[in-house]
Amino acid sequence: MQALAIPDAENLHARRPRLWGWVLLAPLVAWLVAFVVVPMVILFGYSFCTRDDLGRVVFSFTLENYGRVFDPIYLRILGRSIGFAAVTTVLCVAIGYPVAWYIARQPERIRDKLLLLVMIPFWTSFLIRTYAWIAILKNEGLLNGMLQYVGLISAPLPLLYTPAAVLIGLVYAYLPFMILPIYGSAEKLDNALVEAAHDLGAGPMRAFSEVIIPLTWPGITAGMLLVFVPAIGMFAITDLMGGAQVPMIGNVIQNQFFRARNAPFGAALGVVFTLMFVLAYALVHRRASRTR
Amino acid sequence: MSTRIVRSLVGAFLALTFSLAASAASKELNLFAWSEYVPQSVLDGFTKSTGIKVNYETFASGEEMLAKLLAGGTAYDLIQPPDYIAEALIKNKLLVPLDYKKLPRFKNLLPAFLKMPHDPEQKYTIPYMASTVGIVVNSERVKEPVTGIKDLFSPKYKGRIVTVDDGRELVTAALYVLGYPLNDINAKNLKEARPLLAQWIKLIKLFDSDSPKTALLNGDVDLGYVWGGEAALLWNENKKFIYVLPKEGAHQFVDVLAVPKGAKNSDAAHAFIDYLLRPEVSKIISDEFPYTNPNGEARKLLSPEQLANPASYPKDTRKLDTFRHLGDSGAMIDELITDLKNAK
Repeated sequence: MQALAIPDAENLHARRPRLWGWVLLAPLVAWLVAFVVVPMVILFGYSFCTRDDLGRVVFSFTLENYGRVFDPIYLRILGRSIGFAAVTTVLCVAIGYPVAWYIARQPERIRDKLLLLVMIPFWTSFLIRTYAWIAILKNEGLLNGMLQYVGLISAPLPLLYTPAAVLIGLVYAYLPFMILPIYGSAEKLDNALVEAAHDLGAGPMRAFSEVIIPLTWPGITAGMLLVFVPAIGMFAITDLMGGAQVPMIGNVIQNQFFRARNAPFGAALGVVFTLMFVLAYALVHRRASRTR
Repeated sequence: MSTRIVRSLVGAFLALTFSLAASAASKELNLFAWSEYVPQSVLDGFTKSTGIKVNYETFASGEEMLAKLLAGGTAYDLIQPPDYIAEALIKNKLLVPLDYKKLPRFKNLLPAFLKMPHDPEQKYTIPYMASTVGIVVNSERVKEPVTGIKDLFSPKYKGRIVTVDDGRELVTAALYVLGYPLNDINAKNLKEARPLLAQWIKLIKLFDSDSPKTALLNGDVDLGYVWGGEAALLWNENKKFIYVLPKEGAHQFVDVLAVPKGAKNSDAAHAFIDYLLRPEVSKIISDEFPYTNPNGEARKLLSPEQLANPASYPKDTRKLDTFRHLGDSGAMIDELITDLKNAK
């Protein structure tokens, strides 16, 4: 009897949390299935279809859409999008790291207030904040007005509708996504380790590169993913602040659905694009675990 | 016992919800229309006079409208497509013929806007507002006369031009310059248009379909190739913004009202169309959105200044053409423009 009861009890303990785990996860799983898995399956299916003259998907198998994805036009656009996203990521690390580090080193009371400052922009709609940048950067805008008033320039600088404006918009939009994860790592970092590095004769540079960076690396990689991946697909900023002059891959995909009546091609672009994200994620992840 | 009570309760509840839903349906109109095109006061006025609530859902381009309509998420009762999309919908039997007995004010419309190529029998559509695509010049900054598309896309205006972000409009401009009819979109003509467009796209500072007037007002650009309605608003703001219909020819567009197949409340849709055709209601629309009003009775109520707006009522209607449904060559245009912007 006893011999039977013990494994049963063990089983119960082992099973209960598992069952509870699933129950707790159920909303998330349902959400993922409904809004990620099912749409991805539909997208994948559409990408092999054709369309009629109104843009309705016609279910006849073709590989033509994938053939077009690898047309040099679209590869160049993809390359440019990756370039912009990469520069954005680097700028975000360069600007975000010192900020996150500084916040993490403050006493708790000040820290919370500073973190609040980082998050306040999220209280306003993203589009409104982008329009605010237009008001700052336009020819007769705040920045040009100020520079002219101070006498630094005589004629307004063309700032808006340039690649620089796009970068400003991207860095501005994604900076908090870099600061917060780095802050998370930096806050946990034990100061004693930095002190130990100094005691062992490491200068500030060496302590930074060999102790601080590796210890905050998980935050940096998380931030890089959070910035790089959405920045590739961003299209609103390139339209509004870049003047829709040079297409990004996000614009191209959007156009297939809402302009060119070519959902299957848009789907094919989306599928390839998603696979690249997965690949990028796997690469960064592998690197991260290797350095650890 | 208790299950029976529950069952009857559920039954009663269901019956109640169904009857509520049914009565709500006849009191609601699902309108799918352009953003910034139907004044709120007009919607309120309609609800006040008929008791029908209007759900105004908006789109920002004809193609967006088409995609959402075909996706079939909502049963729209009334849609507001541009002419060439209405034509495509008619050809694919996706519109319901109108019941003219319910539209006594149809007679207010000017004959010039009836039986147009998109709906030659005037069976499915009622014109809402019309306009053209033309050139806006900030005459304080540009002193030379700009009379046509060729003048506009001149190298001296590099970085000073805004155009609508619409491949077909740009291709149309190129076809006009080449002397081809604007609906002759085929591989050969696009190939001829390509070098011209490549040159123009390098000159353009900003592509914006939603609000091209903003960059002109802000002084970021001095010339535009924009919707007539936007140009009319600019002229109202400041008379320095001159509107010119290109001498090579201009695209005229008509936005129409139509009842899509699957509409739940066709009666309300007809009532709304007829309400919009009232001269005093149509005037409110013109006051807020100065497009070309096709309603002859409403035009009589407009002020001389409104009628003098060169972008709303161009004096010289030299060569106006409307878009026709193209089939799937829209993808060719998209690829061409994407390629050219890419090469920038």
